[in-house]
Amino acid sequence: MKKGDDDPHTWLNEHGDYLYRFAMSRLHNEELAADMLQETLLAGWKGFDRFAGQSTIRTWLVGILKHKIIDHIRREIRGRNLNEAIENDPTSAYFNANGSWSEAPNAWKENPEDLFSNEQFNKTLESCIDKLPEKQQLVFRMRDISGEDTQTTCKTCDVTTTHLHVLLHRARLALRICLNIHWFGKGSAS
Amino acid sequence: MKHACKEVSKLASDSLDRPLSFFERLKFKLHLSMCGHCRDFDSNITLIHNITEMMHATDYGQTRLSEQQRKRLHDSLNSSIE
Ligand SMILES: [Zn+2]
Repeated sequence: MKKGDDDPHTWLNEHGDYLYRFAMSRLHNEELAADMLQETLLAGWKGFDRFAGQSTIRTWLVGILKHKIIDHIRREIRGRNLNEAIENDPTSAYFNANGSWSEAPNAWKENPEDLFSNEQFNKTLESCIDKLPEKQQLVFRMRDISGEDTQTTCKTCDVTTTHLHVLLHRARLALRICLNIHWFGKGSAS
Repeated sequence: MKHACKEVSKLASDSLDRPLSFFERLKFKLHLSMCGHCRDFDSNITLIHNITEMMHATDYGQTRLSEQQRKRLHDSLNSSIE
């Protein structure tokens, strides 16, 4: 072990940008990424006796950061979501008994590049994701926002692949409606 | 064909996460060729999916902590560690 290996200030100086970029790539939010970095440095400092020295400090810290991010997503969703009851079979809200659309989707005219760079749209999207029931939101955030693969998402969220697909289907039905109401349905929204 | 919209919307969603089987794809394409609502649904959720893909494809290679953030982190480490 070299000097400074156990000092979180040194970690911040040497690995801070790297860890911050990692957090940004999962969360896409500067303030949140910095918070996660802070929690990671502190957890590393408190748990330094568990660092076995088999990996580099950086790899070890990334491991802690990954857990912090997943914990955060879980915690956030639990704290905010009150909509759990409709998680049973929400698809009945979108389709008639015979399986046809109860409210027909319509075409959206805007292209993904413009929307992606539109801050207002990103806020709308975020608030629609926030309204999803817990499990749907968790899998949608892991899979589509953080870009985790199917296997990791299933393992982290404790669902089967089949259930994951059911939850994503429900999440997308709900998101589509929400965006249609709050963005695309507004005429010249952009 | 209308009775199949619910099922087809699931295939549209699944196709973003896994390859559809031959028969699923056949059913899906056939239905879309006849149903504008499901075509719109498919393109709506594909658009959302494309946007989220852009998010995690964002290259943060040049991203750095700002001096302000860095200072705040050092400060909060100091106050937590002492
Ligand atoms: Zn249809």
